[in-house]
Amino acid sequence: MIISESLVSLNLQATSKIDALNQLAAIAAKEGKVNDEATYIQAVLKREEEFSTAVGFGIAIPHGKSEAVNEPFFMFARVDNLDWNSMDGEPVDLIFLIGVPMSDASSIHLKILASLSRKLMKQPFRDSLREATTPAGLIEFLEQSELGL
Amino acid sequence: MKIIAVTACPTGIAHTYMAAEAIEDAAKKKGYEVKVETRGSVGVENELTAADIKSADAIILACDTSVPMERFAGKRLVSVSVGEALKNTDELIEKALKADLYSAGNLADDVDDLKSKRSAERKGAYKHLMNGVSFMIPFVVAGGILIALSFLFGYDAFQQEDTLAAYLMAIGGGAFGLMVPILAGYIAYSIADRPGLAPGMIGGSVAIALNAGFLGGLVAGFLAGYTVLLIKKYVKLPRSLQGIMPVLVIPVIASLVVGLLLYYVLGGPVAAINTAMNNFLTNMSGTNAVLLGLIIGLMMAFDMGGPVNKAAYAFGTGTLVAGSGSAIMAAVMAAGMVPPLGLALATIVFKNKFSFAEREAGKAAFVLGASFITEGAIPFAAADPLRVIPSIMAGSALTGALSMAFKSTLSVPHGGMFVFFAVENIVGYLIAILAGAVLTAALVGFIKKPVE
Repeated sequence: MIISESLVSLNLQATSKIDALNQLAAIAAKEGKVNDEATYIQAVLKREEEFSTAVGFGIAIPHGKSEAVNEPFFMFARVDNLDWNSMDGEPVDLIFLIGVPMSDASSIHLKILASLSRKLMKQPFRDSLREATTPAGLIEFLEQSELGL
Repeated sequence: MKIIAVTACPTGIAHTYMAAEAIEDAAKKKGYEVKVETRGSVGVENELTAADIKSADAIILACDTSVPMERFAGKRLVSVSVGEALKNTDELIEKALKADLYSAGNLADDVDDLKSKRSAERKGAYKHLMNGVSFMIPFVVAGGILIALSFLFGYDAFQQEDTLAAYLMAIGGGAFGLMVPILAGYIAYSIADRPGLAPGMIGGSVAIALNAGFLGGLVAGFLAGYTVLLIKKYVKLPRSLQGIMPVLVIPVIASLVVGLLLYYVLGGPVAAINTAMNNFLTNMSGTNAVLLGLIIGLMMAFDMGGPVNKAAYAFGTGTLVAGSGSAIMAAVMAAGMVPPLGLALATIVFKNKFSFAEREAGKAAFVLGASFITEGAIPFAAADPLRVIPSIMAGSALTGALSMAFKSTLSVPHGGMFVFFAVENIVGYLIAILAGAVLTAALVGFIKKPVE
């Protein structure tokens, strides 16, 4: 799973959940991670429909598995309080967007999501996510957090 | 203090692990020992061993999906949703330590869990077929029972207009008439989702018109389902017209294709196969019939509700024709009732060969067996497969053979003892069931080792 500075947006200006997802997908396409934005977004939204990916504590982990994804990737964005139909009723300000190709038979991304989910339960981890000042700093923090990145 | 837990959320990606983390943290803060089994998309991790369960003081189940619970018999257990586990973890742990003991007399729950787990695991063509069959069954049951009720007034009673008997036959016949379209429709629905429903049902109606029966409905359902998939894949409309795809384009084209294919090409052959099969079954000689009964019995007991059992069952329902009894259906039901009944009998006669939990389960198994829910035998088979499965197969085989020998017939597809009024030659039928149950009980009783 790769995340890089170009896939991190510490100050994404978005007006809604869909707007945020569209913007992030566009970045993913620009970076060559996704070959068909529309198809990828559809996959992400479909998953979102089944069960909101807002896991509480202001965090959302939308993800899409689709042929439109070239290679597994991982994006991070901070936004100003968006409504995401979260389980705890709170708005979301941290987004981890994940993309996985259809043919990816491995469960590496699932393992990373699992580790990430565990880390998200810890206040210090969440605080660091909110306090990071540069994309590089955020990446370094994630790499040091034993997520398997 | 030792706390163990199982977490499982429906999508298995995040909440499963978050709940595990929450439980682990809360327990450690109180100074308790803790182990959490997670059941997520990656599979089962940190599985609880028998030793873990034995040494635990309390168990927390934080699951929104069903999870095997038999292993927790006799332990304090509290079961909540994953969300709840995340919100009030501290209180949850204390609640668990004071909870009631979980008893495996919840056999009916376990069987329910197992059935839904099984239905989630089915794949491919078998899954589509089972989807169709499961929607079809209520129609067949309602129709069959109403028709049988009409017969209570006499076999020709329904021919007198405006009598209760006539109405019962009409309603039952109406339900029966829907059976094949529903089967075809929901097979197609399973394959192609909502757009498949209409073409599937329409195809099923055509199959009836062609006298292609149950088999015709099957063919129509799969044909419709895959036709719709093809249409969805290859017919691309501009965005503005997308809306008419499911409402107009797909139903019309798919129904046309399926209907015409059935009329011109497939209908004749399938109808011929159907007639041949029915003739074969009705004209089967004595010994062949008994042999068939024996095989049916073996199949029904072999996997108790699994694919082999369902194949025999589907075969049985396929031989049902409105208003008349089928010897095959009778054998299928009798053979399916015997495994739980025989095992229940065994738990009473051979007490020392069964654990406390199994003896409790035996009580429930009487009811399950009487209701033709073969899955009631599963917990016993799971605990001791090499001894239990051959025993139930032998018992069911005997029952199936005897049922055919006594020429018992059944005109409805389900219901166990509640539909005994729909059985022809009921005395022979009861003897068949009793004989099989006794044989099963005896075999199980003598082969099994005593429990310490």
